[in-house]
Amino acid sequence: MTAQRTILKGISLLATATLLLSCEKEITVDLPETEPRIVVEGTIEAGMPPIVILTRTQSYFAPTDLNSIAASFVTDATVTVNDGVTTHTLDRICSGELTEEQIELISSLTGLDVALLTNANICAWTKLTLLGIPGTSYQLNIQTEGKSLSASTTIPHPVQLDSLWFKLALQQPNDDSLGFIWARLSDPDTIGNGYRWLAKRINAGPDGSPKDDSFVAPFFSVFEDRFVNGLTFDFNFNRGSTPYSEADDDNNEESGYFKRGDTVVVKLVSLDLASYRFYNSFQNNVASQGDVFSNPANVVSNIQGGLGLWSGWGVNPVLDTVICQP
Amino acid sequence: MLSHALFSTTRLFISHEQGERFICLTNGPTPAVLGNSFAAPLHLQISMRFILSLFTVLLCLGSTAQRSFTVSGFVKDAASGEALIGANVFVKETMRGTATNVYGYYVLNLEPGTYTLAMSYIGYEDWTLTIEVSADQKINIDAVPKAILAKEFEVVGERTKDNTEGTQMGTVELDVQKLNTLPALLGEVDILKTIQFLPGVASNGEGNSGFYVRGGGPDQNLILLDEATVYNASHLFGFFSVFNADAVKNIELIKGGMPANYGGRISSVLDISMKDGNNKGFHGQGGIGLISSRLTLEGPIVKDRSSFIVSGRRTYIDVVTKPFINPESAFSGSGYYFYDLNAKANYRFTDKDRLFVSGYFGRDVFDFSGSNEGDPKFRIPWGNATLSARWNHVFGPKLFMNTTATYSDYSFAFQADQDQFAFELFSGIKDYGLKVDLSHYPNARHRLKYGGQYIYHIYTTSTVNVSSGDTDFNIDTPPKLHAHETALYVMDDFDITDELRINAGVRLTTFAHVGPFKLYELDENGRSTGTVDYSSGKPIASYAALEPRLSLRYRLRKGSVKASFNRGQQYVHLASFGSTPLPTDVWIPSSTNVRPQIGTQYAAGYFRDLMDGLFETSVEVYYKDFDNLIEYAEGAEPANNGNTNYDAQLVFGDGYSYGAELFVKKRLGKVNGWVGYTWSRTMRQFPDINQGREFPSRWDRRNDLSVVVAYEPNKRWSFGATFIYSTGQAVTLPLNRYFYEGRVVSEYTERNGYRMVPYHRLDLAATLHNKTTRVVTDPVTNETSEVARRWKSSWTFSVYNAYNRANPYFIYFDASGNPANNTFQVVAKQVSLFAILPSVTWNFQF
Repeated sequence: MTAQRTILKGISLLATATLLLSCEKEITVDLPETEPRIVVEGTIEAGMPPIVILTRTQSYFAPTDLNSIAASFVTDATVTVNDGVTTHTLDRICSGELTEEQIELISSLTGLDVALLTNANICAWTKLTLLGIPGTSYQLNIQTEGKSLSASTTIPHPVQLDSLWFKLALQQPNDDSLGFIWARLSDPDTIGNGYRWLAKRINAGPDGSPKDDSFVAPFFSVFEDRFVNGLTFDFNFNRGSTPYSEADDDNNEESGYFKRGDTVVVKLVSLDLASYRFYNSFQNNVASQGDVFSNPANVVSNIQGGLGLWSGWGVNPVLDTVICQP
Repeated sequence: MLSHALFSTTRLFISHEQGERFICLTNGPTPAVLGNSFAAPLHLQISMRFILSLFTVLLCLGSTAQRSFTVSGFVKDAASGEALIGANVFVKETMRGTATNVYGYYVLNLEPGTYTLAMSYIGYEDWTLTIEVSADQKINIDAVPKAILAKEFEVVGERTKDNTEGTQMGTVELDVQKLNTLPALLGEVDILKTIQFLPGVASNGEGNSGFYVRGGGPDQNLILLDEATVYNASHLFGFFSVFNADAVKNIELIKGGMPANYGGRISSVLDISMKDGNNKGFHGQGGIGLISSRLTLEGPIVKDRSSFIVSGRRTYIDVVTKPFINPESAFSGSGYYFYDLNAKANYRFTDKDRLFVSGYFGRDVFDFSGSNEGDPKFRIPWGNATLSARWNHVFGPKLFMNTTATYSDYSFAFQADQDQFAFELFSGIKDYGLKVDLSHYPNARHRLKYGGQYIYHIYTTSTVNVSSGDTDFNIDTPPKLHAHETALYVMDDFDITDELRINAGVRLTTFAHVGPFKLYELDENGRSTGTVDYSSGKPIASYAALEPRLSLRYRLRKGSVKASFNRGQQYVHLASFGSTPLPTDVWIPSSTNVRPQIGTQYAAGYFRDLMDGLFETSVEVYYKDFDNLIEYAEGAEPANNGNTNYDAQLVFGDGYSYGAELFVKKRLGKVNGWVGYTWSRTMRQFPDINQGREFPSRWDRRNDLSVVVAYEPNKRWSFGATFIYSTGQAVTLPLNRYFYEGRVVSEYTERNGYRMVPYHRLDLAATLHNKTTRVVTDPVTNETSEVARRWKSSWTFSVYNAYNRANPYFIYFDASGNPANNTFQVVAKQVSLFAILPSVTWNFQF
């Protein structure tokens, strides 16, 4: 976790120093067309229903207007989840059929942009009566566009944080309000635990509504217990932002920091190793775009016949909250 | 393994009697299995058998009666006492002769009679002496440098006639002192970048000093500095090489037909000799450039008997920029610099014994610390150290011995602190070596070399340390890997007929990875379930190979044809986490899973001198096969090397390369230089990369053209120009994208499936020398005379990328905007590193 971030930062600083002399220009690149593949974005969280969103890969330089992007979302598919006892056929919900309030709810659950949900018909598959249970395996099957996809995941037992606190970052001159959230975790003495950290500020922002609509995972917020198995240790995370965020505090000096007075709910997700590998390679893939020094690497998927992830999230029924006071 | 058998099924005996020559080939007892690996006792047996047969060969040679005498000695520069490497010493009447070895030593075998002994070497006056041969003689030659500035300026000083006479192929020597007048990036004269202008040698992108010989990887070049291995020869992502040209005397690059006295790498040898130091008087030289300054001092310790040289270079970007950086800016606590230190001393005990001690120490240091308390701090030091002590001994005129003890060290560290976190990453390699080389000149037709080498390696194959406050993370102290490497070789360069000369040799190498070592037992997820401990010295994996080396030259009426075959085994591998060489690259030894790299090369060529040696030309073709190459698996990370086996993230594959090289060089005249052209193809195949499909290597270049021209119109001015054109570099680009959690993800399908636009660049340089003489008026007679100045200086103005070509350094796809409000767009961007870049350097000498 920290190691990964640190190396990247160190190397990129050194690289930046040497690239000061460089210049860049836009070019045209001819890439061959390939058959689109189906990408699964599916989770089943403890105590929550499954949510599956399906998209298709697009050629890198395919048109980028809203309609073309919206067209990459799959709207017609048969999606089933087997919990070891019963096969449940998931129901399709499309944003075109929803009210504004429902769209906001879907947005906070999926992280999809409200504007995107409003302006395009985006579909998701779910079953409100099927709630995730830790320790249970779930088999996902998808039939769409003549393709057959499948994946299996197990919801790990959640792990409780020992404690949470706020600490000033001291990274800006004369600053006494910005900081990071720190946590103490006791990793269980079984190797192969993955974690993902998400946080949500629930105190009111300038417009009176909560600062965050949904849980946000900062970059490099996934880690595993390879080096911390069975240990109690401290770690910290900066504040993440949703993609394309236009909020002021994501675009000024507060970006990346929690602020004195914030009330923050932390969701520590327990993951199996396949999910850990996916999120880790996903972050690296997104972060390394434009990085000359990294070897290009695809995201490691657990989907047979497609891309993406079907992931069981082990989450405690009650989440920890911290009020930012140094 | 088939060709291993080539030299093991027949033992080679050579006999030579009174003008009659024959070769005796007997079917000897054949070592049964000469595969890649067998147990230690077996290869010990084989070594013994090999040594015995080696002696048989020698006895066979030694027993032949010879009615000839030897003339031998050293060739040195009369002014500095510096040994001259590759000077021609020959008999004028027959035009037969030899060239001095790396210590300036030569031997001629002559039948009784009167001869005119001659010596020629570029930049020196011709030397002749009439000798009467009736007994063995020792003749040391003091070569006199040509008047102040030679009228003829040569870019490359090499042995005349060697192009068509010698058996060696793909071998080039460079005279470093001549490189100063060629253009250089930011004025930093760079040996490795000059080598990239030779056919068959590719670079890895803009400004990079890494070199790739005939499709081989960067780890397949044996880089020797005074016989000690240099593991990472570059500073700052390869923009500058570690060799300070002021301290270097001679460079030899062997890219094909590697003779048996070299081994351990399968693609090339770059043999760099440091200057010995002037043993006549105290001198210095140096320079001030845009990014670094250099100073070299040399002189006698005991006149004519002992001398020293010390040379240093340091960059000063950090020193120069520091006062101008705002103390509140993010970069205020940052700095980057590198330095190199070379030192050497030698002592001549007698005419027969000479001792050399030389060392190199260089470091790159990058520091970053922000101005605020909570900012992270980084320190990234890395570098090489080498030490070699050599003892030359002349047993008799026919036998010359050199014994070398070497030490090499490369280490990389990455240290970071932020708040209560501390993070460290290390890797490195340490070698202790001992080597004995004997040159034996039994008679006029044979030039024998034999010897042995032992290296003890200690590898640190990338390790991490992390702590948070008082909690140390559970990262095992990583095992250092220990290995013994040995080699025994014998080779003979001999004339079978006047037309046919062959150089045949064999090299027997062994490698054993031994304890202490901790082997992790892993579950299906790659997680450690336990460890197996090997005690100190306990063998873990061992390998051996008999490496055949053969090259031959057949002289035609005009020019000559040459052919070579060689096979080598390499027990060390370089694995890179990046797409370009980085200091984080890790040296990895062969062991149970990492099998030795095997390189096999077949080459043939036609060599011809034109217009009485004014032009030297050659055409060479080669085919090269690589087995057991390694790469890191897709998505491998340095941090994941903790608590697992060092080879857990590696994947294995093979490769091949073939090509044709054309070379035309004008050796002499006011305008001289060369044109090199290479057509080649270099492919790789790994079951776990690119879905097992063959893919081009990053340094696969279909066309590669380079032109180097020097022009010296008069004594004050000299000009240099270089031009390079090469096929665009192969890069991996994503074909498709998709959104995940709202972010753009790239999907890569073909490894190195896309070509950037071709690379081409012209560099220019002009050097203005100050007047080398001054006019002195005698106060008594009022006569004026010209006296040479002791102080010489010059200005070199150079322009990199003269026509400002935007050469691609890398390409990336940039996605920006928000799809939801229709502002999303994707563009491809090409980054170029160096636009037109002028520089000036001031050099001096006294």
